[in-house]
Amino acid sequence: MPDTGIEVRDLHKEFPVRDRGLFGPRTTKTAVNGLDLDIPAGRITGLLGLNGAGKTTTIKILATLLRPTSGTVRVDDLDSVADARAVRRRINLIAGGERMVYTRMTGRENLWYFGQLYDVPKRELRARIDELLSLVGLTQAADTMVERYSRGMTQRLAIARGLINDPAYLLLDEPTLGLDAPIARDLRRVVARLAAEGTGVLLTSHYLAEVEELCAHVYVIADGRHLAAGSPAELKTATGSLGTVRVTVPQVPPAVAEVATRFGATRTPADGGGEILTLRSPDHMAGPLAAAIVGAGGAITALEIKEASLEDAILALTDGTVPGPVVLA
Amino acid sequence: MIDATRSAARVFAAESLKQHRRLFGQPLVVFSMLVWPILQLATTYYTLRPVATASDAAAHWPLAADPHRLLAFLATGTLAYAFFFSLVQSAWHFSFERTTGTLELLFLSPAGRLTLMIANGAGALLQNAWLLTCFTTAALLGFGTLSVASWWMYGVVVLALLIPAVAWGAFLNSLLVFSRDSAFLYTVLDEPLWFVSGVRLPHFALPAVVQVVGAVFPLTGSLIAVRGALLEGDTLGALAPTLGWLTLLSALLLAAAAVILRVGEAHAQRTGRLRLA
Repeated sequence: MPDTGIEVRDLHKEFPVRDRGLFGPRTTKTAVNGLDLDIPAGRITGLLGLNGAGKTTTIKILATLLRPTSGTVRVDDLDSVADARAVRRRINLIAGGERMVYTRMTGRENLWYFGQLYDVPKRELRARIDELLSLVGLTQAADTMVERYSRGMTQRLAIARGLINDPAYLLLDEPTLGLDAPIARDLRRVVARLAAEGTGVLLTSHYLAEVEELCAHVYVIADGRHLAAGSPAELKTATGSLGTVRVTVPQVPPAVAEVATRFGATRTPADGGGEILTLRSPDHMAGPLAAAIVGAGGAITALEIKEASLEDAILALTDGTVPGPVVLA
Repeated sequence: MIDATRSAARVFAAESLKQHRRLFGQPLVVFSMLVWPILQLATTYYTLRPVATASDAAAHWPLAADPHRLLAFLATGTLAYAFFFSLVQSAWHFSFERTTGTLELLFLSPAGRLTLMIANGAGALLQNAWLLTCFTTAALLGFGTLSVASWWMYGVVVLALLIPAVAWGAFLNSLLVFSRDSAFLYTVLDEPLWFVSGVRLPHFALPAVVQVVGAVFPLTGSLIAVRGALLEGDTLGALAPTLGWLTLLSALLLAAAAVILRVGEAHAQRTGRLRLA
């Protein structure tokens, strides 16, 4: 089977809705509206958008849990509707905050159970269960009933479940939601390693630093529509997202005030006396601003530089500050 | 074909473990598996006994005149009922998987849907009924009331109980897993199953309308076959019409389960209601 990746073309999904009881008028709600996505093997692809943008619906369609109203999803050239069973062997889904495991079975039994459903070869299953339990830090609790697990432990087990079939494509819907920082970090490392080994990953996350760290390519959607696509750096550049320079000065003589005005910096009182000059700029203007302040006879007690973030880019896109669609590399 | 059979066997093993863990979470489960059915059996016996031994009743129903045979009749009824009702209970529990979200995980997997439904029912049946089966077998042997045409009729009895029960379980699982009214169906299938299937009374003693309604429940046919083979010494030939009907009914139940699953899953995929939040 060629690893041609997941190809999504002109995807639409409408849900039937009855607003008023069983006999109320039936309407439709559009959740996904003409999406095109490419999720190649060996790459982590981000899918971003605000709440209600259609991310989870898209992921569930890719996981075959929902059927598209129109459009196609092909996984390694298999149609997700016509060849659903073969597609299911090649994918898995991990949803953040997910605690959907059987509480009256142990962690090991849960993984064995799902391994049986995925028909993982018996010879591999035992080793894979041990490996996954170790990966999510549950080796010590492997033979404890899940009903005695904490929420975090249950969630980690759910993550291990999502990897039980060694999926060629992994769909991650807010995977680190609610996880402790060390476990979230470990999961990010695992995801990066899986991608390096050839797994195609689709990631949605509200932790944009996570997306920025992991994703080589990001799609931004709103109201089920495509807004932008590109690498995180390209999205920031394309949206003109601004970095922030904060310079703390002990005093603001007239010449320094003139510099602040010339650069367009805002002035606010600093806690320990003096003022903070804040400049939002598309480039790193810290050097020129600092040089101008010193050149005007001012002194600097602190200098803080914050680079433009993906969050700024997403907000710019979804606020409509930047008109979409913005399609980059 | 071999691969498909092997995959199905693994699904059966998985569901058996799940059912085992669900049912044997606490030692009090023995009450539902043995003590409760025996109490029901005793209640029925001591309720029927004074009526059954009255001269008129015995004339219409000779078996009732012998306390041991009456007890054997009711014990087979209780056992068969336990087989079928354990599947109603199991299907009801299965329907909760839609709200806990695990059903979505089952449908995310490549496991065959009908296989899952059958395996879930069969797993529940094996876990639920083995203790009562042992007890009833021992009791029947102890009463000395068995009248069996040949040794292999025991195999016929097992199949006449097992196959329709598993088909019934698969049908109920398919029905309840996509239904919002599982509690209602649970209630509907409890007492009426006792009544229309002739668990406590011989089938011929029921009103004609009830006999017709009862005929569509596989428990009715299973009971006729089991009692005929174990208590009346019926041969395979004598039971052939009942067994034929049971085979047809089982096939229809499995076919209906397959259709319900196909339609139900497609509907859930369209509406997003594979999981009820």
